Amino acid sequence: MPDIAFAKPALPRSGTLVLPLHEADTPNVPWTGLAAEADAAAGGALSRALEAAGFKGRKGQSTTLWAPGGGLAKVVAIGLGKPADLTPLVAEAAGGAMIPAINQDREATVAADALAPAMAASLAMGALLRAWRFDRYRTKEKEEDKPKLERIAFATADTTAAKQAFAPLRAVADGVFLTRELVSEPPNVLHPVEFADRCKALEKLGVEVEILGPKEMKRLGFGALLGVSQGSAVEPRMVVMQWKGAPKGRKGKPFAFIGKGVTFDTGGISIKPAGGMEDMKWDMAGAGTVVGLMAALAGRKAKADVVGIVGLVENMPSGTAQRPGDVVKSYSGQTIEVINTDAEGRLVLADVLWYCQERFAPRCMIDLATLTGAIIVALGHEHAGLFANDDDLAQRILAAAKQTGEGAWRMPLGEAYDKALRSEIADMKNVGGRPGGAVTAAQFIQRFVNTKDGPMPWAHLDIAGTAWTSKDHPTIPKGATAYGVRLLDRLVADWDET
Amino acid sequence: MLKLRFRRGAPAAGLPVVWPLPAGRDLPAEIAALAQAAGFVAEAGRVLDAPGLPRRVLVGLSASPLRLDWEKAGAAAAAVLAEAPLATVAAQGLAPEAAAAFAAGMALRAWRFDRHRTRDRKPRLARITCLVDDPAACRAAWEAALPALRGCLFARDLVSEPANHLTTRHFADRLEALAEHGLEVEIWGRRRLEKAGFGALLAVGRAAADPPRLAVLRWPGWYAAPPIALVGKGLVFDTGGISIKGAQGMEAMRADMAGAAACAGAMLALALRRCPAPVVAVLAIAENATGADSYRPGDVLRTASGRTVEVVDTDAEGRLVLADALHHATATLGARVVVDLATLTGAIVTALGPHRAGLFGNDAALLASLAAAGEETGEHLWPMPVGARHREDLHSDIADIRQCMPAGAGRLQPDASHAAAFLAEFVGGTPWAHLDIAGVDTQDKPHDLGPAGATGFGVRLLDRLLAAQYEEPPEPPQGRR
Repeated sequence: MPDIAFAKPALPRSGTLVLPLHEADTPNVPWTGLAAEADAAAGGALSRALEAAGFKGRKGQSTTLWAPGGGLAKVVAIGLGKPADLTPLVAEAAGGAMIPAINQDREATVAADALAPAMAASLAMGALLRAWRFDRYRTKEKEEDKPKLERIAFATADTTAAKQAFAPLRAVADGVFLTRELVSEPPNVLHPVEFADRCKALEKLGVEVEILGPKEMKRLGFGALLGVSQGSAVEPRMVVMQWKGAPKGRKGKPFAFIGKGVTFDTGGISIKPAGGMEDMKWDMAGAGTVVGLMAALAGRKAKADVVGIVGLVENMPSGTAQRPGDVVKSYSGQTIEVINTDAEGRLVLADVLWYCQERFAPRCMIDLATLTGAIIVALGHEHAGLFANDDDLAQRILAAAKQTGEGAWRMPLGEAYDKALRSEIADMKNVGGRPGGAVTAAQFIQRFVNTKDGPMPWAHLDIAGTAWTSKDHPTIPKGATAYGVRLLDRLVADWDET
Repeated sequence: MLKLRFRRGAPAAGLPVVWPLPAGRDLPAEIAALAQAAGFVAEAGRVLDAPGLPRRVLVGLSASPLRLDWEKAGAAAAAVLAEAPLATVAAQGLAPEAAAAFAAGMALRAWRFDRHRTRDRKPRLARITCLVDDPAACRAAWEAALPALRGCLFARDLVSEPANHLTTRHFADRLEALAEHGLEVEIWGRRRLEKAGFGALLAVGRAAADPPRLAVLRWPGWYAAPPIALVGKGLVFDTGGISIKGAQGMEAMRADMAGAAACAGAMLALALRRCPAPVVAVLAIAENATGADSYRPGDVLRTASGRTVEVVDTDAEGRLVLADALHHATATLGARVVVDLATLTGAIVTALGPHRAGLFGNDAALLASLAAAGEETGEHLWPMPVGARHREDLHSDIADIRQCMPAGAGRLQPDASHAAAFLAEFVGGTPWAHLDIAGVDTQDKPHDLGPAGATGFGVRLLDRLLAAQYEEPPEPPQGRR
């Protein structure tokens, strides 16, 4: 990972120069600041070469010039689009887009001096998010294939302001990286016990971390969660994380975030087909997101009280595994007929959600889960499915989604869907059939939202389509996306801290 | 269709009496003792069937029911009465619109399709007498409710009809018969389609013994303006073609013309109520068969718009025929708004189940008024996305666009959004909405307003949309005369 620095504008003596340029900046509008200086040093060769190469400064455009003159080794022009359309998200995307062009260079200087310091910080954030990679298990990568980027310096007139703007972004980026790492780890390494141990690392940031094992959960009566876990050789865990950042006098009910953490999902006795089963290592992405979110909030010292709880299990077929037909008793007291052992995420969430309400009586609850294939069929990969029992909460989530570029799309709930969960033997069954599969899954979870003693605003994000990406995006390399960390960090920031 | 009579006075002896009972009102003296003894409380969803002479059916409603609630209550009563051919409704004290809506619900629920039963035909509710305070006012309210009702039942009849009876030709004949209600009906055959370059519709219908048809139904309306266009997918049967479907459940594909049937039903309703707005329906009718002349995966078709399409899956044929029909409605007929209905994708069933249709489109106001009309009529919609990624997925290596994602691209594809992204390419800049009704065209079980089988979904919704939004001529553009 490259270091990020902010420095006074000065032409670099070595390394690569990156020019973030607006659409109107080329070809006729004169450049300013460092870009103009560089162009002058090269006798106007930069602007001429870019024009000849068809670089217009459009969003996402990127052109590389080698030895363009003026003693410069390499210049990378990055499009920012029209000045009026420049938002932090656009700046981030431009920052990310520079990475493939400079990854093999040791150092780069970005001429961000024409931008506001906060925009320079967003540019840096985008670069940082894209530069992340997970190479722990590569032992034979060729030297020339490894990224060499050690340092990116962003030239800005006001380094103090830029650093100030960047500090909280950096903390969020670290949260994102933690999530991406957890999600990327293979399932033989990251099983429930290991996952829980890694949560301990948050204590360094000031997060209180408690770990519950099977004994405690059995005592509490977590029949649903334990049923999923009983086929695995590895014990289940529940991790409760608390960040108490609200200033005195503003203490109240905490935010609560709950994550599904199935470290590997074979489907259990209702086993999945072999094709693509390796993807099921990221069936813990909901939990991974909650952990990264807690790290982000604590890292930037969020002025809010937040609880994060993850239920960690492995879903395996074995002689001790739960069977289709089993009836389990959840912590809420409600009984569940397990029709399909591959609909296990909702069983885990059922107990964790109930526990969260019993213990913390939160102001609102948001759960994240790679819950259904149906949500991918419904929405694809641009939006997560948002289900909510509260319009205000849903609106806030949609607004935060828009701000952070982590798309969410509201999906329906309703009595008609709930009926599909009726069981002949228990209070409910754990699947409602293929039609409306993501909706009936959400209905199932809603049965574990306790509104008996007053309203409990709750939202469920089905992130099965957004937790992982098979192609590179400007700020997200192929693989784990950490979808949700930034969205929910923003939700907390906009709701409670302003 | 249920026969209805409104009169004052007492019920005829011996007939079952239905009592619609909104919550929070005093129960009529005739049934107070019965209700108490049976523990019946007037509230939404409660029904009591009390045998005796007369047989009495108590139907509860909420305290201030909307039109849809009255319809559902009427349907609940009809469901209970089932095989009783005659009944009385004690509707005294109800507003005329409420009584009419209750009766409309009964008619919707009492509908049955038994044309093809030759024996053991069970009797059905055929005639009801509504006892009311003001028969004339009630009759007027009933007359107003009737067009949408008849349109809906017409659509149900079409959808129920099996494919060997409702061939493309026969479907066209049924539509031509609507001319008696004042609709102008134009049917295009193969030659005309060829001349106009409807390459997509022709390809889909090519292998079938009965040729494809384009039906254009026009209602002139009372004011001069570009028409509102309804576009319907009318696959009288869909085998899937060369990309043939699995055998299981294929019989349900006789309903793959439900979009076209809904548009036709809506046109009938408009004509019956002399709708002021000019409306045109463009129905793409074909049978997707397998045969030596079938179109193939890999074929490139030239659509009526001139745009070329790479066929990836011959079972994604609905979007192909709609491409031609949408182009005709917008570019040729110059529609000011276009709404299409189609049993388009299995993906929408996975997304929304049998309770809501998927709503896609490019115009927020149109989408909002459709969603509102859906809530009012109990034909519920849910907005679904068409994103940039969905369109990118349709990039073709050989043609202007491909029709869907190839099967090898992965099991979980947002095909309903892909289909909508595809259709969006054929509407130009016209405000457009697309209703994917694949999950709601038929129901496996009896539902709120009908028995199991064809629902007629879309007819009442479209009729309500037009009544709510298009009764007046559009405002002339600002700054011009």
